[in-house]
Amino acid sequence: MSGDEECARGDLLTQALAGERAAFAALVRRHQRSVYSMALRMLSDRHAAEDLAQEVFLQLFRNLSAVSSEAHLGFWLRKVTMHRAIDRLRRAPRLEGAAEELAAAVSEAEPADPLLERRLLALLRELPAAARAVVLLRYQEDLDPVEIARTLRMPLNTVKSHLRRSLAQLRERLDGTADALT
Amino acid sequence: MSEGLENNQELERRLRSALGAVDPGEGFAPRVMARIAAGAADTARPARAGAVASWLAFGLAASVVLASLLAHEWQARRLEQGREARRQLIEALRVTDEKLDLAYRAVNTREGGAPPEHSGV
Repeated sequence: MSGDEECARGDLLTQALAGERAAFAALVRRHQRSVYSMALRMLSDRHAAEDLAQEVFLQLFRNLSAVSSEAHLGFWLRKVTMHRAIDRLRRAPRLEGAAEELAAAVSEAEPADPLLERRLLALLRELPAAARAVVLLRYQEDLDPVEIARTLRMPLNTVKSHLRRSLAQLRERLDGTADALT
Repeated sequence: MSEGLENNQELERRLRSALGAVDPGEGFAPRVMARIAAGAADTARPARAGAVASWLAFGLAASVVLASLLAHEWQARRLEQGREARRQLIEALRVTDEKLDLAYRAVNTREGGAPPEHSGV
């Protein structure tokens, strides 16, 4: 990100903090993909994901004064989204989307191997909520384990353990799928 | 399918590719802003309702105080009227007594005799 762009982002946050609704709407547009994607991959339901993402931004609007910088804003959004998603899954653990929901969760970028990526997303849904959150923050949000530990308020070793076990589980199941196909 | 997944790096690359961002659509931000506006209206409404309720409570309390003052005044006036009536009755009885006494004396004087020992008055 260039210095000018960083400055513009800071200005937007300052304007939103000053009560400018248009600036806040611009902040929503800037972060909506990240928040919605996390919610969708956690809940596997488009409507629930939209509702959760909206609630996250409503909470941000009410607590905007607690956000000190653009970097802090990203951290805050990821933390609140993940904690809300995990809470929601605890309350309704069978919140499982249909096959078309899985299709909706597939990345908009043209996948190199659509079948494999669909299968990966389906297997991701089978991981426990905390492990799924760790994997999403690592491979969707590109956070390192230390940042994931801070975001999820989880010990670093637990994060590393979740990553290791989740990757092993995904690999094993993908191999199983491949064996079944051959 | 697993040919390219022989090591974790390949699996991680696939994961990153599969977990690209998904856009919630054009209308997402306007929907959030509409919910914010609705929330602001909801919080303003209870504030207005609260103001109306406190004015009603104030009016009710003022009415109760005024009513008790009026009741107290009405009762004091009735007591005063009772005392005045009693005073007037006593005065009337005193005047009647005097008149009867005068009449009795006049009757006795006309008959020329001393008043009887037991007049009955």
